[in-house]
Amino acid sequence: MIPTGEATIGPFFPPRYVDAGANDLTLFEGRKAKGEAIEIRGRVLQEDGAALENLVLEIWQTDAKGIYRHPADPRHAQADADFLGWGRTVTDAGGEYVFRTIRPGATEGRAPHINFMVMYSGLMRILKTTMYFTHEMDVVLSAVPVSRRELLIAKKQGPDGYRFDIRLRGENETPFFDD
Amino acid sequence: MKTVIDPRDERTQPARIVPGYPQTPLRNPREPLIRRPPTLSELSGPLEVARRVRVLGGDIAGQGEKQAIGQLIHLRVRVLDEDGAPVGGTVVEMWQANGAGRYIHPNDDDHAPPDPNFYGAARLVTDENGQFELRTVKPGAYPVPTRDGWWRPPHVHFSLFGKVWLSRLVTQMYFPGEPLNAQDRILNAVPDTVARERLVAQLVPPSAQPHNALVYEHRIVLRGRTATPEQS
Repeated sequence: MIPTGEATIGPFFPPRYVDAGANDLTLFEGRKAKGEAIEIRGRVLQEDGAALENLVLEIWQTDAKGIYRHPADPRHAQADADFLGWGRTVTDAGGEYVFRTIRPGATEGRAPHINFMVMYSGLMRILKTTMYFTHEMDVVLSAVPVSRRELLIAKKQGPDGYRFDIRLRGENETPFFDD
Repeated sequence: MKTVIDPRDERTQPARIVPGYPQTPLRNPREPLIRRPPTLSELSGPLEVARRVRVLGGDIAGQGEKQAIGQLIHLRVRVLDEDGAPVGGTVVEMWQANGAGRYIHPNDDDHAPPDPNFYGAARLVTDENGQFELRTVKPGAYPVPTRDGWWRPPHVHFSLFGKVWLSRLVTQMYFPGEPLNAQDRILNAVPDTVARERLVAQLVPPSAQPHNALVYEHRIVLRGRTATPEQS
C-alpha cells in the first residue's frame, strides 16, 4: 500500500497537545531517568531571520547506555525503564525551545545523537534532522557535505547545557534529511 | 520485528513550496535534502507515547445540553502499514475547526463564532485492528488570511506515530463532494490524482446505525513494512 500524503500541521495545532512536562525526558511517570541530565536550547528561524513561534519540535534518542526503548534494538530489554526517549515542545515568541534530557549513549556505528522533527505551518512535510555533541563521525554525519557538518553539532553552553539552533532556510541552513 | 522504510514516490507527497501559500518559500530548505542510510535510530521510535501524553476521548460532539452545533458525523478510520497490516496501539491526535469554520486557538481570530461546546481535538489510541472511531461535527470551511480567495475546504487534521521514527505522519483528511477541494492549495500540492483521492474520506451509505450521524470511513497508511527474512 502507498503511504498517505503528508500535509502541513498548520497554524492551529491544539496547545493542549503540548502536555506539561513533555519536553523533560529526565522524568518519566515521576521517576528519574539514569544518566547525565542535560539541557538543549535553541532557536528556530526562517529565511528572513524571523523567529518562529509555536513551532512543534519532537525528539527521539537512546537512553544513557545507548539503548532504544523499542523491540528493534536487540538490547531493548535492558533499556532504562524510567526513560521514554521521546519528547515534544513548542517554540516561544522568540522562537526559542528547550528540552531537558539525558545524554544519549553511542550505539553500533553511530555517535551519540538526538533525532529532531520539525512541524510547522507552511512546512508541507515534516523536516528531519539530527543533533550531534561532537565531530565524532558516524554513517549519518558522513552523508552530510563536509562544509555543512558543523551545523549539526550542538554548541556547549554552561556546565550541562547545549545550544542547537535550527535555520529552516537561508544562510547556515540546517541540513535536513530525505528518508 | 524489523521494519523497512522504502523511499516514497514523490508524486504521492506534497510539493514543499506551494504557489499561493506565502509561508512555504520562507520555511522550506533551499539546499537539497540529504539521503542517509537508515539505521536503528530511525528504524526504532516511541511506542509508548500514550504514557507521556493525555489521551482525550472519542466523542467531541458532546451530549445533551453540551452538544456542539453542526452536522453530526461519525469517523471510522483504519491505520495500516505498507503491508496492509493494522497498526494497533498507536497514538492518533486529531483536530479540526468547528461547524462554522473556527478553531479554538489564539491564531484564529475574527471570521466565525466559536462554539462554547466544541474544542475540536481528540487524542486516541488505535485498537488491535488499527481502527479508531470518533463522534464529532463536520468542520466548516474557512478563509485563509492570504485574502486572495483561498478557502480551506472542510478537513480534519491527523498526527500519528506508528512503529518507528520514520513512520511519523502529519496529514489532513477531506470530505467527498466538496467544491472547495478542487481549488485547495494544500490538497492539490500532491501531484498524483489517485494519491489526492486517498486523502478524501468515503461517505458510508446511511443506514440504521447510528441513526443520527453521517458515517465517514477513511484509511491512513503509515510508512514501513515488515522485513522479509533476508532483510532482518
